[in-house]
Amino acid sequence: MGETRPRLGVFKLASCDGCQLQVLSLEDELLALTDAVELAFFAEATSRADDGGAFDVTLVEGSISAPWQAEHIREIRERSKFLITIGACATAGGIQALRNWRDVDEFVRTVYASPEYIDTLETSTPVSAHVPVDFELRGCPIDKGQLLELVTALLVGRKPAIRDESVCMQCKRDGNVCVMVARGEPCLGPVTHAGCGALCPSYDRGCYGCFGPRERAHTSSLAGWFQKEGMARGELVRRFRGFTGWAPAFREESESHE
Amino acid sequence: MLGPTVRDHAIVFDELEGPEALPVGWSDAQGPGRYRLSEGQDGRVFEGYVVGPDSLKQALFPARDVLYQAERRPDGKVGFAPVPADPPDRAFLGVRACDLAAAEIQDRTFEHGPHAEPRYRARREGAFLVAVNCTEPGDLCFCASTKTGPRVTEGADLVLTEREDGFLVEAGTEAGREVLDAMPTEATDDSDAEWLDEAMAAAETKMGREMNTEGLPELLFGRLDHPRWDEVADRCLACGNCTNVCPTCFCSTTEEDTALGPDGAHVRLWDSCFTQGHAEIHGGGFRPEIRQRYRQWLTHKVGAWVSQFGTSGCVGCGRCIAWCPVGIDLTEEIAALREGEGEAPMPSPPAYAEAEDDDLTPRPAEVVAVSRESDDTVTLHVKVDHVERYRPGQFCQLSLPGIGEAPISISGLTRLGQGAAVEHTVRAVGGVTRALCALQPGDELGLRGPYGQPWPLDEVAGGPVLVVAGGIGLAPLRGALRAMLDRPDRYPEVHLFYGARSPDDALFVREMLGWLEEPSFHLHATVDHATPSWRGHVGVVTRLLAQDLVPEGARALICGPEVMMRFTIEALEGLGVEDDRIWVTMERHMKCATGFCGRCQYGPWFVCKDGPVFRFDRIRMLFGKEGY
Repeated sequence: MGETRPRLGVFKLASCDGCQLQVLSLEDELLALTDAVELAFFAEATSRADDGGAFDVTLVEGSISAPWQAEHIREIRERSKFLITIGACATAGGIQALRNWRDVDEFVRTVYASPEYIDTLETSTPVSAHVPVDFELRGCPIDKGQLLELVTALLVGRKPAIRDESVCMQCKRDGNVCVMVARGEPCLGPVTHAGCGALCPSYDRGCYGCFGPRERAHTSSLAGWFQKEGMARGELVRRFRGFTGWAPAFREESESHE
Repeated sequence: MLGPTVRDHAIVFDELEGPEALPVGWSDAQGPGRYRLSEGQDGRVFEGYVVGPDSLKQALFPARDVLYQAERRPDGKVGFAPVPADPPDRAFLGVRACDLAAAEIQDRTFEHGPHAEPRYRARREGAFLVAVNCTEPGDLCFCASTKTGPRVTEGADLVLTEREDGFLVEAGTEAGREVLDAMPTEATDDSDAEWLDEAMAAAETKMGREMNTEGLPELLFGRLDHPRWDEVADRCLACGNCTNVCPTCFCSTTEEDTALGPDGAHVRLWDSCFTQGHAEIHGGGFRPEIRQRYRQWLTHKVGAWVSQFGTSGCVGCGRCIAWCPVGIDLTEEIAALREGEGEAPMPSPPAYAEAEDDDLTPRPAEVVAVSRESDDTVTLHVKVDHVERYRPGQFCQLSLPGIGEAPISISGLTRLGQGAAVEHTVRAVGGVTRALCALQPGDELGLRGPYGQPWPLDEVAGGPVLVVAGGIGLAPLRGALRAMLDRPDRYPEVHLFYGARSPDDALFVREMLGWLEEPSFHLHATVDHATPSWRGHVGVVTRLLAQDLVPEGARALICGPEVMMRFTIEALEGLGVEDDRIWVTMERHMKCATGFCGRCQYGPWFVCKDGPVFRFDRIRMLFGKEGY
């Protein structure tokens, strides 16, 4: 491969670094990955400085929540052939998008002793609200198997096996008993994008939607069922307003119960 | 041994370590979207509960199955190794009548079409089935309506009926008789038989649900625009739970499981007609709306199933009602759909020749030549044995390790010294087709097939034939054209009406010029966008179909985008060509090509095995209907 290895860049914006850690936790495949691609920039993993060159593939973690990030992402976009956003922050605005329903100035005044040093935006928004994105990899954090599949698909030239379907599909393939039907545990699985391996239901908990809404997320019907089962309006708002609460389908649903 | 056991607040079907694993004394309470288990006091083994989320399906058609291992070597050669099921012999304890009926229905999908799935067959043959008569049906049961229970009538090796003083046991097979002979039993008499008849007759009256199945296929397909479809779509989540718990649903998808290279496993996974990907082809999906997906499921389950397999796909087990997260009850939906008007005639199941084993593994085949047809389209000449098996109108599955498979029509056959090649004309539109278009002579690809129904060359012989093609739609027709032009005695007058985007996109131009030498051949070509040197027609192909060009008694073969075919058919019918003299070739998402994966369903038909070539009068009922 040598010279022809594709150049990979990994960048972060407003985020917790958890998705980048998923790259590093690819332990068994990490050496093969660095053989297959040139890690041109990955601040969390290498001390190599940004050489200012172009990238064949760029992974971006984090949302846009400060003015410098809105600038930075444009520069990254210009330098990237194939831009992939990774994680709930980059694809939906993240948990920090909860600020989007509140007065940010008030937070700044209350939290910080010297608010004049804080330079932040009113909202936390996904990368796709600022520049065109070629692929969004969901999750909080992303699933490392899905990341490996995405990179492999790009290298081999196939459509990535990342299915936009409900978490229920995964539960049923795994033989999980439905927590909602068998125990009355509220679960966002039917309206949430699969990819986590149905992690929460596998541990007897309801899905809280960290992979964000799937296509045709029919949130109003699910919320109606929660209500019928006794869920209060405030709780309904909170259910849909989690790590991907700013994603349009979840956002509209939570706002309809305010 | 597998059987009912308690796990995660439900009675599932799992490995039984011993008799203590059975749910003795447990009972269930089921309602729409609701399943609750409780531990009671009595010592009943089977009668406190009915079916849980699992069925025989998990064991016989597992949710994840590796079909083959593939590798692509640096020299361009490929290898494919099938992965058989290799199942252990297993006994299944506590199987209900509805689940036995469901397995018999799945046999029709996996064993009784033109192809048989050897993994399914091996698992099925290795299963020893100990069934249980249901004397206490549940609140969601309606097997008395579907005539699939509650009494076990066939398909079991042993049948148990639970009584206060023990079990009545009947042997259903020779293997069952051997097991029974080895067990300590007491002889039964007429009073036991009478008790059983009475208990089963009483059970029929205890069904918590009922469903009138009379004439459902005709009724549902006659009411595709019933307002109830919108109403149920307001509730349906399109999550796929109903299809996954259904013991007869069989839809699947495949994916390549490889890490950072092309080598690895080709895997089959359960899929659902409620997913977006199920009916998606390059350029869009056929069922974007939830309404269309629910309608597809229900019209298939209790409607089209009858035309496909000679039986309804519903066994009255009630699983789809219990495990729907929002409690949609198909018996209520059916009852609501009965309120209305409209009935459509439905076809009988097709007769297939005896099923041939197809383990879905491609064989390596050499690309002996590549012809470039246009900027984005090439023809691959793929060396094959038994070229006589490949007929114009059929298709093959072409594959590359780690990238995937694509169904590509046969665009011709060429002789090569001792052997022969089958031609496939491929346009680069997605991952697989781009990779196929990049192949060089000497490279190998994976080949499965041929599959499907060919053009009806015998039926159209004797009179004038109109061939109407749009764009790459000429590829599946080229083989038919060659065959007809070779035999002017049988095909005295062949008209080709061909429309391309531009003169540069027109396929097979050089060959077409050669055909013009044949007195039987008449060419009528048009383009959407002319170039300065183009002197011919500009506009859609249907405008070429004028009265003076459509001879009396003509038959027509059509291939192109569906909208082009629709307007062509309208024009031909206007010119007096009846719909039983028109054949079209349909495109739907074909993953397996053998009738197993369910994705290419088109109402009562499978495009892969009943098509892709259809006589138009047969599919007229659905042609152009959104959602199918």
